[in-house]
Amino acid sequence: MLKRYVSSFAWAMLVPAVVLAQQAHPDLSGAWSYAIDRAPAALKKTVNGVVTIQKIDQSARHGDATAVPGARPSTPAPSYKPEHQAKVKHLFDNESKLDPVFYCGKPGVPRIGPPRKIVQLPAETIFFYEDISGDPYRIVPTDGRPHRVNANPSHYGDSVGRWEGQVFVVDARNFVDDTWIGEDGYFHSAELRVTERLWKVGDNMVWQATVEDPVVLAAPWVMPPRLVRPSTESLEESPKCVETDGAKLLNDDHHLQR
Amino acid sequence: MRQTISAWAGAFLLVSTVTSVGAHHSPSAIFDMSTRISVTGTLTKIDWINPHIVIAMDAKGSGGSLERWTFESNPPSWYRSVGLARADFAKVIGQTVTVEGVRARDRSLFGYMQKITLPDGTSLELINSADSK
Repeated sequence: MLKRYVSSFAWAMLVPAVVLAQQAHPDLSGAWSYAIDRAPAALKKTVNGVVTIQKIDQSARHGDATAVPGARPSTPAPSYKPEHQAKVKHLFDNESKLDPVFYCGKPGVPRIGPPRKIVQLPAETIFFYEDISGDPYRIVPTDGRPHRVNANPSHYGDSVGRWEGQVFVVDARNFVDDTWIGEDGYFHSAELRVTERLWKVGDNMVWQATVEDPVVLAAPWVMPPRLVRPSTESLEESPKCVETDGAKLLNDDHHLQR
Repeated sequence: MRQTISAWAGAFLLVSTVTSVGAHHSPSAIFDMSTRISVTGTLTKIDWINPHIVIAMDAKGSGGSLERWTFESNPPSWYRSVGLARADFAKVIGQTVTVEGVRARDRSLFGYMQKITLPDGTSLELINSADSK
């Protein structure tokens, strides 16, 4: 009798511990490497004839992590409904003049990419960003509350988060329609909805977004995942953005951005 | 102050692969990528702003007249990541520096800085990441 009691007690103590261990969420907190596009150049510094080369980590800026565990099948570009494809081409052809990001505009979600810093708290998770247009933040409730009813549309939307196993899922909606969801003229409507998935692979973090817009897209766009490394570089307030090159453009040349 | 402008045939490949304009437009939309210039003069100002840092310098033109040059370069966050801050440039305001880069197609006194040599001989140069291995 005593033996059975002890055994039952042991199980009673053990099972919750196992369940808790299985339900424990990975901690995404910390600083993460820059995911915005910067010049693909290194610095060659010469001091008293001694040369040093300083490169920057740009591994997180484009979705080339399709083979990472947990990544969903993706496509490099969204699929637009036929009636909107001409507009996409026009925006692409005139990207250097029409892309809001070129002129200090906010990139919005999902174009801003993974956060530069995450603070994970019991009832909310906070995303911090550094961007040429400024340094936005997003507070993502994780206590089960619904989306805000009276929130104004914004560039970074209204977000709620939840855990699906080891994956942090952020549902963002209620956007303004003056951002692009990516380079090459990928415009969207105010019906945009973005689902971001973040998870750990070793010390790294993976970020993958799915874009839905029933007004302009023919199907949801699962974006290529990005593998983001931890960063030891502290965040710093971004200097003001003063665009003066637009008036100097003499042709429509542009190149890969984000 | 001394200003020299020199064009190097064949410089196109080097300069175009540097692609220094970064998260913005293509450099060829503004700058003459086939010609690299070198300007020596007095550094007068450094603006630590996005999307490009901007430096101003006074140089002497070929006829002896004062030429006020402006060069933009990579964004502040790029410079921060390679360990350079505004103070690294500001400390030589009023002193003679040499800037190398590409000039605006409209032939204005505007360019993209790809290398700067400071008064103590220290040089800071943007190079193609692929060439830095």
